[in-house]
Amino acid sequence: MDKISIPIGPQHPLLKEPLSMMVDIAGEKVLGGSLRLGYVHRGIERLAQQRTYVQNVHLIERICGICSHVHTTAYCYAVEALLGIEIPPRAQYIRALMCELERIHSHLLWLGILAKHIGLETIFMHTWHDREMALDIMEEISGGRVSHAANQIGGVRFDLDEEHIDMIRGILKKLHSQVDGLVDIIETEPAAMARTKGVAPISPDMIKAYGVVGPVARASGVDIDLRRDAPLPPYDQLEVKVVTHPGGDAWARTFVRAEETRVSLNLCEKILEDLPEGDVSLRTPRRVPEGEVIIRAEAPRGELFYYLRSDGSDKPARLKVRTPTLATLSLLPVQLAEINVADIPVVLAGVDLCIACADR
Amino acid sequence: MKKFNILDLCIEIETKTSFHCEVYDGIHGDHTILIKPNQLKPVIDVILESFEYCHLSAITVQQRNDQPDEIEVFYNFWSGSGFSLMLKLPVESAKLPSIISTIPGADFYEREAAEMFGIEFTGRNETPPLLLPDDWDQGPPFIAKKEKNG
Amino acid sequence: MLNNVIQKAYRWAQKNSIWVIHFNTGGCNGCDIEILDLLTPRYDVERLGIVAQASPRHADVLLCTGPVTRQTRDGLVQIYSQMPSPKYVVAIGSCSNTGGVFVNSDTVLGGVDKALPVDIYIPGCPVRPEAIIEGLLQLREKISQNEKI
Repeated sequence: MDKISIPIGPQHPLLKEPLSMMVDIAGEKVLGGSLRLGYVHRGIERLAQQRTYVQNVHLIERICGICSHVHTTAYCYAVEALLGIEIPPRAQYIRALMCELERIHSHLLWLGILAKHIGLETIFMHTWHDREMALDIMEEISGGRVSHAANQIGGVRFDLDEEHIDMIRGILKKLHSQVDGLVDIIETEPAAMARTKGVAPISPDMIKAYGVVGPVARASGVDIDLRRDAPLPPYDQLEVKVVTHPGGDAWARTFVRAEETRVSLNLCEKILEDLPEGDVSLRTPRRVPEGEVIIRAEAPRGELFYYLRSDGSDKPARLKVRTPTLATLSLLPVQLAEINVADIPVVLAGVDLCIACADR
Repeated sequence: MKKFNILDLCIEIETKTSFHCEVYDGIHGDHTILIKPNQLKPVIDVILESFEYCHLSAITVQQRNDQPDEIEVFYNFWSGSGFSLMLKLPVESAKLPSIISTIPGADFYEREAAEMFGIEFTGRNETPPLLLPDDWDQGPPFIAKKEKNG
Repeated sequence: MLNNVIQKAYRWAQKNSIWVIHFNTGGCNGCDIEILDLLTPRYDVERLGIVAQASPRHADVLLCTGPVTRQTRDGLVQIYSQMPSPKYVVAIGSCSNTGGVFVNSDTVLGGVDKALPVDIYIPGCPVRPEAIIEGLLQLREKISQNEKI
């Protein structure tokens, strides 16, 4: 069979973001592919050097709309480490609550997109309808559905009173029962299993060699989760159940993300139970003393790496961000080399692309 | 994973490669070892052997304002704790051996470092740009331009 | 006289069945997921006749999100040129209106109006789904008054 090359992107119904792939196929088999990134490159690291630390919180939140909170969380923890301050415990818990809610909304978003790509349009509609409840909670707390501006250097921007907490608990309970139903469906639905079992398996050695992190790594049996291994406060006081699966195929990736949504819901309930009293922010100076810091956080897609260097002024001297999708994307050409053409959407959904994160 | 100790790693490296290891303690959060560019590949081989699980998190590059003639390159690893290798290169002729034969995942990071800072990675076929647009003609964007005054 | 009636009927048909195609030219995704939210049961724009299309040849309206980067500019112009006339462009979010937070970046050109003629600007960062629906209703008004058809 002759080889033909099909371009996918930059605009394509499969992709929410511009990404250019060249896929080589022969008949129904995919031979391989290559990627061209950089369509969403906005030069965030260079822009960050031109703004003050406080202005950068607004910029960093817009690296990615889906995992915006964890980006600002990692950045704020980095600046606070350079300032040598520790934020009040109540602020730490509220940051973690928003992180877990963001993980829930991101995984439900992913579940809907996977269902849509497989052809289960009803599950897409149900999942996104239930995801609105998570966005409602975030909107009640912070005022924004997708972009919350929750973090500031020194703590969080708002407090929760008893009425809020009761309201959040009520919505969480409804969301929990809906998510349980959805996760049970996706884990037992024969069509989903048929489309994903055995597709594009990845071995643990490949995971290590390519530096893949997050749910994709955990779905190949690699037991890494920064919430347990290098916890930012208050995860050192919360017990995080890490979900792994030895399968390595698209089905394992589906299972891991679905179960992680349940774990995050339990964590949200625990955080609200243990919420300590106190202030929610500290005053901080504008100028940050000289120093360098590395912070790692567990974003919904994996290990988020921040390196920040300060030279004593009120603007960062260097901000380096390595997002988890960049690591997972390096494995995509290899994954594409062993599948059928009809499995391309399933593989793309398993990667859980966030090109805005990868390109910055 | 056993508890990470930077001095243990230094001893491993010094035993297996006879390179002297210098610990750089400037970074809050990750232990860092300063090495020379020609020591990079052997040290990475030792690192991959010493840990049951280890992955490359990032390749961070920067040019300090107070030392504009050199650039610093960090290879950031994670194996239960974070640690980094630090190298200093001259900005005019920055060359490093490529590690994609041992760590294929370093490909994207090397390409980004090459286009943003002008580093040349030897031992690989080509280093195409990763993120910058096709019509970019202004050289490495992170390197301070010499023509600017002040 | 007959021409007038046909024109009115045509505009009525077009405004009640706006088929959209969405292109993200470099945004953070915040506005994109709010656009996808429109298709889901809570906001449900299909009741207004708005359906998302896969091919630009089937679409009347181009929904743009994100700032136009140097790399996506040619793709954006190509998609627009493939759409059949009469066609409209809606810029959703601060980034596609003006460039947003990224306006002085060296790889970003600015808002969508640096590349295409824009009919409706919807501000927000990110835009709420209710605001997008309001913008699309204003687009319907504009279509019904379009004398060029």
